[in-house]
Amino acid sequence: MKSILRVQLLLLISSTFFNAYAQEKFTVNGYIKDGANGEDLIGATLFVQEIGDGTVTNFYGFYSLTLPPGNYTFEFRYLGYLTETRTVELTQNERIDVSLQLEGQQLEEIVIEAEPEDINVSGVQMSTNKLDIQSIQKLPSFLGEVDVLKSIQTLPGVSAVGEGTTGFNVRGGSVGQNLVLLDEAPVYNSSHLLGFFSVFNPDAVKDIQLIKGGIPARYGGRIASILDIRMKEGNKKELTAQGGIGSIFSRLSVEAPIVKDKASFIVAARRSYADVLAKAFTDVLDDGAALNFYDLTLKTNYDIDPKNRIFLSGYFGRDKFKFDAQQGFSWGNTTSTLRWNHLFNDRLFSNFTVFYSNYDYKLAFGDNELDKFDWNSEINTYNFKPEFTYFINPQNEVAFGGELLAYNFEPANAVGVSNGETRDITIDEKNALETSLYFSNDQNISDKISLQYGLRWSNFMYLGAGTYYNYANIPPGERRPVISESTADNLELIENYTNLEPRFSFKYQTAPKSSIKGSYNRTAQYIHLISNTTASNPLDIWTPSTNNIEPQTADQVALGYFKNFGDNDYETSVETYYRQSRNQIDYIDGADILINEFLEGDLLSGEGRAYGLEFYIKKNIGRLNGWVSYTLARTELKVDGINDGEWYPTRYDQTHNFKLAAFYETNSRWSFSANFSYISGTPTTFPTDRFEIQGYTIPYNFTNSRNNVRIPDFHRLDISATLNGKKMIGDKKRKNEDYWVFSIYNVYGRRNPFSIYFSQVDERPLPGEVVETQATQVSIIGTLLPSISYNFKF
Amino acid sequence: MKRIKSKISTKYNVSVILVMAGFLAALVSCEDQIDPVLEEAPPQLVVDAWLNNQLTGQTVRLTRTRPYFNQGQPEGVTGASVIVTDDQGKQFTFIDQNNGSYGWSPFQDNMVLGEVGSTYQLRIELNGVTYSAESTLNPVPTIDSITFRFEEKDFIFPDSYWAEFWSRDLIGVGNTYWIKSYKNGMYLSNPDEINIAFDAGFSEGGNIDGLYFIPPIRDLVNPIDEAPDDTFLSPFADGDSVFVEINSISNEAFIFLNEMALQINRPGGFAELFATPLANVPTNISSSDPNEAVLGFFNVSAVEGLGKRLNTDEVTRTN
Repeated sequence: MKSILRVQLLLLISSTFFNAYAQEKFTVNGYIKDGANGEDLIGATLFVQEIGDGTVTNFYGFYSLTLPPGNYTFEFRYLGYLTETRTVELTQNERIDVSLQLEGQQLEEIVIEAEPEDINVSGVQMSTNKLDIQSIQKLPSFLGEVDVLKSIQTLPGVSAVGEGTTGFNVRGGSVGQNLVLLDEAPVYNSSHLLGFFSVFNPDAVKDIQLIKGGIPARYGGRIASILDIRMKEGNKKELTAQGGIGSIFSRLSVEAPIVKDKASFIVAARRSYADVLAKAFTDVLDDGAALNFYDLTLKTNYDIDPKNRIFLSGYFGRDKFKFDAQQGFSWGNTTSTLRWNHLFNDRLFSNFTVFYSNYDYKLAFGDNELDKFDWNSEINTYNFKPEFTYFINPQNEVAFGGELLAYNFEPANAVGVSNGETRDITIDEKNALETSLYFSNDQNISDKISLQYGLRWSNFMYLGAGTYYNYANIPPGERRPVISESTADNLELIENYTNLEPRFSFKYQTAPKSSIKGSYNRTAQYIHLISNTTASNPLDIWTPSTNNIEPQTADQVALGYFKNFGDNDYETSVETYYRQSRNQIDYIDGADILINEFLEGDLLSGEGRAYGLEFYIKKNIGRLNGWVSYTLARTELKVDGINDGEWYPTRYDQTHNFKLAAFYETNSRWSFSANFSYISGTPTTFPTDRFEIQGYTIPYNFTNSRNNVRIPDFHRLDISATLNGKKMIGDKKRKNEDYWVFSIYNVYGRRNPFSIYFSQVDERPLPGEVVETQATQVSIIGTLLPSISYNFKF
Repeated sequence: MKRIKSKISTKYNVSVILVMAGFLAALVSCEDQIDPVLEEAPPQLVVDAWLNNQLTGQTVRLTRTRPYFNQGQPEGVTGASVIVTDDQGKQFTFIDQNNGSYGWSPFQDNMVLGEVGSTYQLRIELNGVTYSAESTLNPVPTIDSITFRFEEKDFIFPDSYWAEFWSRDLIGVGNTYWIKSYKNGMYLSNPDEINIAFDAGFSEGGNIDGLYFIPPIRDLVNPIDEAPDDTFLSPFADGDSVFVEINSISNEAFIFLNEMALQINRPGGFAELFATPLANVPTNISSSDPNEAVLGFFNVSAVEGLGKRLNTDEVTRTN
């Protein structure tokens, strides 16, 4: 059966190539940009009236379309921009670069020039949500700080462990199963302040795309989702600056052309400033104590010629908590990416990426040389990624490429000094190489049927130098002792894994504005986030697949119905998914995951399953717009050694997850937005009994179950109002723009439960005293939180 | 204030350092006492058998589990036979006190229970079921000295006196200890005062062998208490005494205490973000009848102790 499929696939592919050359055709290609600042428009449409079809721009704003000779009317469209129409007599290959103008913000007239596209219905890609930075900026936010990661939690299929926690969960995946890419480079920890804020500066972000299913073959390395964040290139027309002062961050970004229309840059910085203010009032910070976090985003690009463009981007962010000059804790990400877009010919677009990504943390304790403890840990990634897109014809778009990732893990470089004597307790570095190759084709079989099919081959090599261990096979649930150890030389192969990851999606257009889509994908993940606490924290380490840890793999099938109403005024979708995953990591009770040479003996392995139904309605236009999402889902794990080997729900299993985001524009300078969430209670473990050992009262669960009860439901309303600065001064148009944002988080001050814990009431009971017990419900944000921010642009 | 308190008492404990950010979050996070309904379960036998080589009476307590919110005294289990034997054939018979306690005194058989290197067997017969466990008595280092140091008022504590004990982990990887401390004779029994060591450090993976116990362990003999107005007190004042006792424990007992501390030392508040799930602590006691499960732990310790009284005139004010 398999081989028949393979033959058919080959025939299909070869026939498309053959067709491509059957008749002389010409190619029209180019870039679609924002006329105001020269930014590439990602996902802009070229619609050819005569064929009733077209194409969309890629991540670099590039399109290419090959057509038979003839007269054509091309419409270049992008939501929120005026449509540009060109009539072309196609007798040779044409390069058409287009700059679209932002439509006038004459809200009084409510004239919407460009009709929203129906790509959500007509495109083959399903389970994908795109958020532009304008929508993200309008959402009410925690303490008024615009947050890219929090905004995606309003989308169907996306959840989080709780308020204030780092990361997000997609369709039952854990936090470490999402690939978060910033201009192609992975970001390992996406949080400031342990999860309250994300590390992405909204002023530097252009566009984000979350892929939850039907993951194209070009993406790999994580099993749950891809969050692809693209930074702005920087204004190519004129110098602009924007910034603001919020309750937590003050921000400033500057963008300007270096060579007009050819090269530009953006520099964006943010820093928390509470400590700066505090210095004026207290001397606590004078001895070197600090509590701050900041990030810096840089990007520059140069259009060398019509066929070559280069981009250089970098990110640097850090959180610092210091008790004094010697002691403290800090962590941060660094990424740098160099990309080169090259057009081999009119139809062959390529992008070569080289990046370096690093995540590290450092701790230091002890205020004198005789007694101290220094510890740091890091993960370094070096990557080379060539990618090609071959725009064969309107029916076929082939993508192929590969990726070479070199990893270097330093789990712990640690030195302890006690009373003047030193012990180096550093754990060996780990090295690994991940290689992948992929091929995929987007094929329009007919007006109604489109396919995207592809294959990704991935390989992982766990390499020396270092010591590696074999552990005893004991009944799971307890620490496995080491039975033998071996030493590997530098770059000696210790373990090798290969996976074939098929990807397939289809679309069947049932009517002009409705379609059915389905997809299947297999994904493999070779590096693992080791975290045994409720929420992930900055000390969690990434570890490679080894002789003891097998790669995680997952299969997901999804089916959806997509329908738009009016002139795409309303987008609706219903999707259902089922996901099965293998080699999911869990932990023995009391696992020691930090500075543990024998960490692998504390890990358990199991399987996961997740399924759900997602509803989404989005209103694109009008004074009142926004979206509603609802997810009905179940996420479970089955791990030998936990819950007696039976299925149990994960900590982030949310049966009902309802989210509403609404925006309202008025005639005046005011606009409003609201955000409401309702999430049914997440699972937790309650004890049944108590017993006493040496005077300590210990909780006990008779059935030894995990996550056997649910905490109460979560619901919260946030609102915000934006007051735009006057557009005119007297009768002159103001050059600068500014606006105030007033927001209230948790409007009705609900004490939403995060967790419930059990403890003894008396902290230090006397011998023989009756010890009382209690249950305590914790709310991370237990009150309403108002905030104000001021933002400007000039 | 509980969360700040527990944070400071383990000031150096890296996992708790994360709670630094809790200072901010503490302003908005909050806690409510609730009364959830818990599932019911049949009672199970609990064996609390922590013996040592001191010249004092030794006790094994037998109780049963009871519903978590049962606020009375645990019910003692009487009528059992409790016998400890060592690998040289010595037998120590514990006498039923008819309240769940079974006692043995060194003067009863004119011998000491506890010879370093010996292995001890606990054997309990109850209603035709035998419960048994084994523990090896590990060696314990002596305490060289106890010192006090003065620290000037900072943003949390007033001018305060802190005790430290000075003792060196025995050479060789895998020594495990339970350090108990007392202020003016009162055992520091707060769950966040549980002080255990693997060699001179916190954990097996840490591998800090043969050093003086590292500072967080050395420091965890200080009670952190609050005055009625919620301000912190100096751990020790002039004339107060501290007594530190190192108990050698088996590696299994270290794992047991480590997991017990995870379960009962709940930081609360914002730090719950980084809590681990509730799980049952392990036991080293086995039952001859699979239908009669048993909980609890058996360990025999060697003990070294040292005390000191604070005379503030003798403490140099270096800071």
